[in-house]
Amino acid sequence: MAVFADLDLRAGSDLKALRGLVENAAHLGYSVVAINHVVEFKEKKQEIEKPVAVSELFTSLPIVQGKSRPIKILTRLTIIVSDPSHCNVLVACTHLDVDLVCITVTEKLPFYFRRPPINVAIDRGVSFELVYSPAIKDSTMRRYTISNALNLMQICKGKNVIISSAAERPLEIRGPYDVANLGLLFGLSESDAKAAVSTNCRAAILHGETRKTAFGIIATVKKPRPSEADDDSLPACKKAKCED
Amino acid sequence: MATLRRLREVPRHLLVCEKSNFGHDKSRHRHLVETHYHNYRVSFLIPECGILSKELKNLVMETGPYYFVKNLPLHELITHEFINTFVKKVFSLEPFVCHCVSASLRIPPSLCSCCALTYNTNIDEDNTAALLPNGKLILSLDKDTYEETGLQGHPSRYSGRKIMKFVVSIDLMDLSCNLDSKKYKRISWSFKEKKPLKFDFLLAWHHTGAEESAMMSYFSSYRIQEHQPKIAVSTMTDLQCPVLQSSELGGKPEVACGAWELLDWLGAVFSDVELNNEPNNFISTYCCPQPSTVVAKAYLCTITGFILPEKICLLLEQLCRYFDEPKLAPWVTLSVQGFADSPVSWREKEHGFRKGGEHLYNFVIFNNQDYWLQMAVGANDDCPP
Repeated sequence: MAVFADLDLRAGSDLKALRGLVENAAHLGYSVVAINHVVEFKEKKQEIEKPVAVSELFTSLPIVQGKSRPIKILTRLTIIVSDPSHCNVLVACTHLDVDLVCITVTEKLPFYFRRPPINVAIDRGVSFELVYSPAIKDSTMRRYTISNALNLMQICKGKNVIISSAAERPLEIRGPYDVANLGLLFGLSESDAKAAVSTNCRAAILHGETRKTAFGIIATVKKPRPSEADDDSLPACKKAKCED
Repeated sequence: MATLRRLREVPRHLLVCEKSNFGHDKSRHRHLVETHYHNYRVSFLIPECGILSKELKNLVMETGPYYFVKNLPLHELITHEFINTFVKKVFSLEPFVCHCVSASLRIPPSLCSCCALTYNTNIDEDNTAALLPNGKLILSLDKDTYEETGLQGHPSRYSGRKIMKFVVSIDLMDLSCNLDSKKYKRISWSFKEKKPLKFDFLLAWHHTGAEESAMMSYFSSYRIQEHQPKIAVSTMTDLQCPVLQSSELGGKPEVACGAWELLDWLGAVFSDVELNNEPNNFISTYCCPQPSTVVAKAYLCTITGFILPEKICLLLEQLCRYFDEPKLAPWVTLSVQGFADSPVSWREKEHGFRKGGEHLYNFVIFNNQDYWLQMAVGANDDCPP
């Protein structure tokens, strides 16, 4: 049991469209959304644009329908690597420090999934992402989405799969229960399909958070600097060492 | 292929039908109504009836207020004062009175039962809390909250591949007997300091011989509002009704319809759907089960709110008495629907939400005091009792 999440809302240049997208997601019942910035990998050093600041988007976050809490907005970076010599699925699953591996739906997959690297990825906590908004737009994409998804399911047996929208416009996003039903078409069981929109998304978000911690157990928090007046009350040897 | 097979399957649901008579000693009707605590909608349908009798009308109007409190911390529900005022039933002192004292000194028991349920929380996504009239506080918590509260509970039966939902059950009657116990101290510490949880609550209180506005004054420091249940009334004309025979629960071809056909038909009537199976009807091609008769008029009343089981008992008794005088109607129905986001269905049986969170029951009361009882639950539910 976890709240419903949509981890792929495409960030365009238009803030107003993004705002409409997030409000629509809150209206449909998603409690967590992640704004996705997509970047093509280039050989030379590249500047990655700054992510959209949530305070810029909304002064007050929209309330999720059916709850009393506001929606939670995260940001996410996706890197597309087109050159297979740099990095292919095998490498991504086993070595790269990533949280999600996105399965392309715009074309038929040129390779078959193999069980060993997928199992390694599942053990490491890496999730596989399927998107459904291309399937809404075009019937050829629909066929590719379903066939690629079924290929993946045969190997990974429905574990660590998340389904998200990749929506650019408010009309491309669907409600969480509808997306769970779509998961049935992709080959997931009923409970796995519902987990694909809730529990597995939570696991992917936590996996991302643990990258800042030591083994997922110890985290550091910045301590607020004490003011000068408080310092005088403690003897010199007991003052915390702080960098100037 | 497994996917195709799965796509053809219907979500799991259970329907239990039984028949009995109200006069039987072992009839379970009272017990089943009283143990279904969180009732959202009560509807009754009386065929061949245009106006409601005075007694029924009064009962409908008096389904009692319910209260809505915003941001109530959970530790308020375990205070000694709350338990004594609203939860504890004060038993009659009769056993302690010496047998030589005359019966005129018998002290009537003051009975009360309090029911509470969190509002705006989804049972399959968020933490939910419910207070049952028997004094049990049930918490349905997600994994993170359960680990943070540090209370003892058990994993939910419908949790899926990874255990993500836990149920904690706290017996308030047991706690209030011994306020210095380690258990009470731990629960109090958990609710006040370790993980203070706050919810919006719907509350209802059944009491005899106590102040009317005790609940409003008790929670006056929080934003408490009193609400009256919404009542919707409609009279239908020329309604196709199935023919039923009280002895034939399963129906008899050409003679009477079965219990599940009646439930389907009742659903169609409540949704205000055409029963004619017209080919150009976009919404529904449902048609009334055969054999059926056409009834000149029928009275449908729906009460929506947070309704206590005691009020439903009174309504059921009054509907049984409907047939004390001869009436044209062969039967009347009383349907009760529970809250989709309640953590329990009957007694303390777990209730969950997969694609739908229905847990409902329906009485069909015949003119010879026979009745049919249908209880239906959805996918993530234990079997009805």
